[in-house]
Formats: sequence, C-alpha cells, structure tokens
Amino acid sequence: MIPFIFEILSVGLLVSAVLALFLDEVVYSVAALAGTFLITAIIYALSGSVFAAVFQFAVSVGTLAILFLSGEMLGDRPLKKASSTKIAALIGGGIILSLPAIFLSVSSGAGVVVDNSFGDALWNLRGMDVLFQAIVILTVAIGIAIVLYEKKKGAK
Amino acid sequence: MDFVILSLVILAVGIYGLLTNRQLLKVFISVELIATAATLNFVMLAQSALGLGQAFLILAFATDTAVSGVILALLVVVSKKYGTSDIGKIVQLMQNKEEESEVDA
Repeated sequence: MIPFIFEILSVGLLVSAVLALFLDEVVYSVAALAGTFLITAIIYALSGSVFAAVFQFAVSVGTLAILFLSGEMLGDRPLKKASSTKIAALIGGGIILSLPAIFLSVSSGAGVVVDNSFGDALWNLRGMDVLFQAIVILTVAIGIAIVLYEKKKGAK
Repeated sequence: MDFVILSLVILAVGIYGLLTNRQLLKVFISVELIATAATLNFVMLAQSALGLGQAFLILAFATDTAVSGVILALLVVVSKKYGTSDIGKIVQLMQNKEEESEVDA
C-alpha cells in the first residue's frame, strides 16, 4: 500500500468537489464531478468495501452520462476557458479544506464488531427495505414519466 | 485521517453550493455532493461491519437515484418552459407572468 494514500485521495476528493461547484462552465463542472465520484469509488475499494466501490462506479457512470447530456442541452452560452488564476485558487481552497480531515480526529477507536457478509446483511437484515425501495423507484419512474408526458401534452 | 470530518466538509461544501449557485445544473451537482458525503459516512463508519455498511449504502444509492431522477425531470421541464436554467431569471419570468395574468383578470 502506498503511504498516505488516503490523505492524497481526500485532498483530491475535496479539490474536485470544489472545482465541480465553482467552475463557471457546466461541462467542466461535470468533468470535475466525475473525478469526485471516481476518487470516492477508489476510497471504498481501498478500504475493503468492494461492493460499495462497484455500485458507486455504476451509479456515477449513469448520473454523469445524463448530466453531460443535460449540460449540453440546457447550456445557453458557448464554452469558454476558465482562467488559470481561478483554477489555482479553487485547487488551493480544496487543499485547505482537506486539512482538518487529515490532521484532526473525532472518531472514537472503540466499535462494535459485527461479522455480516454483504448478501446476509442485504437480504436477511434489510430485506424488507430492499423490496420497499424497489416500489419507491418504480413509483418515481412512473411519476417522472407522467411529468414529462404532461409537459409534452402541454406543448401540443 | 478522519473520514467523518472529510464527509462533514464535503457536506458543508455541498450545502454552500446549494445556497449560492443560481444555475439549476449546479444545484443538482450540489445535491450529488451532499449524497456523496452521506454515502461516504455510511461506508467509513461501518468499517467493523462492512456487510451492513454496504447494504445501507445500496439503500442510500436507491434514494439518491430517485431524488436525482425527480430533480432532472423538473430541471428539463422548467428549462424548456422558461428557456433558461438560471434560477433568478426563472423567478423573474414567473413574476412577470403572474403580473400579466392579474392585469388580464
């Protein structure tokens, strides 16, 4: 394992988060958000949560594809390059924001160790939740379809 | 290295972006950052119970995806209706429309 890997990743995570929020162009912001998602997935994988890393990666790929499309579709002005001073200031801000996470600590060392496998936890402990989540997602999908259909009907 | 503080800082950055950005897509990006902070907390706090932490993460992802879908649908509808994705301009256009309908009445 590379020494200080989590510290480097946390700095990268905060820098990309700050860039995603404060860059002027939406397309560049979405690219920075892609970095945030990717670094989060790497942190999960390195901390032993492989399933979480795979899900984070899969969900973020879908979200980013839709965001790129929306950014292209809804952007009302042509792309312009961000000034290097602003980018440097944003990177500096991100590094400063990551310092408390590296040097301070609020977590207590004591913890209850529960030895559950991922499948066991998902189906035996949270099985009912999983079923209800499926219903929620189905309802949301129907709701979104209705909103877009009403919009199309209104346009006609 | 403390991931609780890291997720707290990401949450703060996301809330700041939510309050200050005027572009709808940036607001959506802020919501995504807040969701990332929450999921990071779920996984890193469950280091002694990784299976349970990851199961909760899946549930959080499902909620996050549902919220993202609704926000994006509303974003597309509002942007197409008012022709802009700037919140300030949208509010202005809505007020103008209300005034026009009051004058007509």
